Amino acid sequence: MAKNLIQKNAFFLILTLGTSLLFSGCTFKSKIEPPNTLHLFSIAKIKGLDPIYADDLYSGTEVARVYEGLLQYHYLKRPYVLIPNLSESMPEISPDGKTLTFQIKKGVLFQDNSCFKATQGKGRELKAEDFVYSFKLYADPKLTSSSWWLFDGKILGLNEWRDAAIKADTSDYSLPIEGLKALDHYTLQIKLKQRSTQFLFSLAMPNTAVVPREAAEHYGKEFINHPVGTGPFRLEEYNPSSKLIWIKNPTYRKEYYPSEGEPGDKANGLLEDAGKELPLADQIAVTIHVETQPQWLNFLAGKLDFSSIPKDNFATAITASKELNSELTQKGIKLIKSPSAEVTHETFNMADPLIGKNKLLRQALSLAHNQEKINELFYNFRSINAQGPIPPGLSGYDPLIRNPYRIYNLEKAKELLAKAGYPGGKGLPPIEYLNTADSTARQFAEFTQKSFSEIGVTLKVSTSSWPEFQGAIKNKKGQMWGFAWLADYPDAENFLQLFYSKNASPGPNDSNYSNPDFDKLYEKSLTLTDNPERTEIYKKMVKILVEDSPWIFGAHRITYTLTHPWIKNLKPNDFEHSKAKYYRVDPTLKPGNKK
Amino acid sequence: MDSYDRLKKDKTGIYCLYIVVFYLLVAVLAKIGWIATPWDKTVGKGYEPPSFISLELWLGTDIFGRSVFYKVIHGTRIAMSVGLVSALMSTPIGIVLGALAGYFGGWVDELVVWFYTTVSSIPNIILLIAITYVLGKGLTSIYFALGVTAWIGLARVIRGEFIKHKTREYVLAAESLGASHFSKIFKHILPNVFHFVIINLSIQFMSAIKAEVILSFLGLGVQGQPSWGVMIDDAKMELARGVWWQLAGASIAMFFVILALNILGDALRDSLDPKIK
Repeated sequence: MAKNLIQKNAFFLILTLGTSLLFSGCTFKSKIEPPNTLHLFSIAKIKGLDPIYADDLYSGTEVARVYEGLLQYHYLKRPYVLIPNLSESMPEISPDGKTLTFQIKKGVLFQDNSCFKATQGKGRELKAEDFVYSFKLYADPKLTSSSWWLFDGKILGLNEWRDAAIKADTSDYSLPIEGLKALDHYTLQIKLKQRSTQFLFSLAMPNTAVVPREAAEHYGKEFINHPVGTGPFRLEEYNPSSKLIWIKNPTYRKEYYPSEGEPGDKANGLLEDAGKELPLADQIAVTIHVETQPQWLNFLAGKLDFSSIPKDNFATAITASKELNSELTQKGIKLIKSPSAEVTHETFNMADPLIGKNKLLRQALSLAHNQEKINELFYNFRSINAQGPIPPGLSGYDPLIRNPYRIYNLEKAKELLAKAGYPGGKGLPPIEYLNTADSTARQFAEFTQKSFSEIGVTLKVSTSSWPEFQGAIKNKKGQMWGFAWLADYPDAENFLQLFYSKNASPGPNDSNYSNPDFDKLYEKSLTLTDNPERTEIYKKMVKILVEDSPWIFGAHRITYTLTHPWIKNLKPNDFEHSKAKYYRVDPTLKPGNKK
Repeated sequence: MDSYDRLKKDKTGIYCLYIVVFYLLVAVLAKIGWIATPWDKTVGKGYEPPSFISLELWLGTDIFGRSVFYKVIHGTRIAMSVGLVSALMSTPIGIVLGALAGYFGGWVDELVVWFYTTVSSIPNIILLIAITYVLGKGLTSIYFALGVTAWIGLARVIRGEFIKHKTREYVLAAESLGASHFSKIFKHILPNVFHFVIINLSIQFMSAIKAEVILSFLGLGVQGQPSWGVMIDDAKMELARGVWWQLAGASIAMFFVILALNILGDALRDSLDPKIK
């Protein structure tokens, strides 16, 4: 019986397909795209739409359209502020900082899906128990989530639950966890092993989002292709290597566009939609462009709402004064420049007996390194000179601080080199510079080599593959190398922990910097929340680093985004992944739609 | 003298010989420091287009404002030295192994054939990359890597020739006069097959230059010196901004020497091979 039915259905399907093909010539498009459709792109193929595997930017961005977590970043405010997302308010934190109590928003519905059998496909309400279940998914050893590190060792009892699951070779989701409890349907209590300000930031990442148990169990392995979340958009069409279509979720909770931002947002038109219900767009079409040229040409043709500037096209798109060329300006295209939360640097190995013990030598080398020239040659002037490790946009960044050793001054460099015991570089053995084998890295090393030769210091470059290079650094080998550090979360702590002596290699402190004064301040800063006192401590720490020069501080690079006039509310944000819910298209400004 | 006369009649061959000699001369002069010194001096702004204002700016400047023309000349030095050293290293290996295998036959032959079959079954570039990883990067390891991998072709040819020659009358005559194995191999047979070595040398020279450029392009070659491969690697990124002169300079320099060596190899075979008359 069943077999016949299927065959019949298949036949019917072929028939309808055939007829639709027949008529497609005269009916134009079966689905007309709503005018308020965003046309976005991704520069990498999408790995999947299951939050527990969304550890890269591209998958994370797509996952954040459909799934949500407890917290999110304020879209407009800077420095970055955490605000509630699925939680009603910011969590209540116990005085010892270890117990976090979240009130979950009432009336939040999961998107309608056939997996909700009890309600005939209608999405049910989100409950605190869903978080308990979801966090267990991240911990489930069988699922091997790539985001486990965000939970590892943080929540009381979760590691033990995972260990028990490994031992028993099966995960028992009914077992209670001490640090992860739903006190009632709308109250979630998380007990941490120790106080951690960073844990809250991880709750705003797409890879800690909440999923419904029904969907995960119904779809099993296919869950990665069938997202069912609480988010502003639902998946309409999915081809992980070419195109994704998202449509507005009709059952989305009431969320509104922010009515305050940072100074200047109003003038930039970012508050015009204040108080309007989100999401503002009706549909999102995401095209995958792995190659930069198609992405660039599609943008110029108006098929993408915004675009980055490929390095190769920079000279033709941007004038010498770092503004858009007139051809693009005439089309109404605008340029948005935004600093990324990152810092490039040349690292000195402080564990090295020669370079680590000679502060004057490091300062001399720092003075001989011409950052302006690097900005010109390698970043098309798209960067701000770094004076310390903290990038702009984070509390602790001081725009007024001037690093006395990051001025290009050969005379002073020679003087300090002589004071360091190597007048004119005499007696100094070649410095061993570790490098990777790619072309830009080679040019970088050549530049450093050339700069140091001006004061008589020679550099011996040794190149290797990326794993070898990292292996050498983890083993405290080499005397110098270049690196960039990209923030994991908007807290300067993420940059300052790079100098904490207990984080030395193989930890993230790869310069093996160790200074008891710095450590003391760092440990003190961990016990504080984001307040002026902590910012003062951060500034003191930066001062110590500037004087000790364990790095030659490089640059905070600036991202250039080009936007068409019809896309509204675009504001660069390094940490929030769910930005598209704020975007809107003004169809009257689109060339094809003028009436 | 007979062969030299025949070579002289081949006009193209002679011109190619001149070209190769010219390249060698340039390389030697650059090495001594008589021309194009110092190559790493900043002579202008970055990416200055070619102009005839001065010899230095003939082929424009690179990213750091160094003269591309000087870099091409010093690239010649690197290329010639790699060609020469690796050919001089691989030729003796090829001759000895080929001669031993061909002359003695039996298990010696089997061993040598097994050895070069194994080595040649590994793709050449992969083998070179592996060797440079083991030895570290730099000119010395390139010399060595090319030297120890490029002998296979020559060994094959020499082995075949020795098998052919060892039963010839002159060898049998030498044997009846009491010549030792050593004397038969090196005094009697080798001079009669030596033209193969000369032909092989020019082909070897050329493939070594190519390999050096490829390795340097992949970032495994010379470090901190102006190799043609490094220049082409630079050009890969620079072309989008319209900087074509590094690519042009390195490619043209490489094109002529490789073409010349190829034609010269052909001409040498024509004039040295006694069968072609």
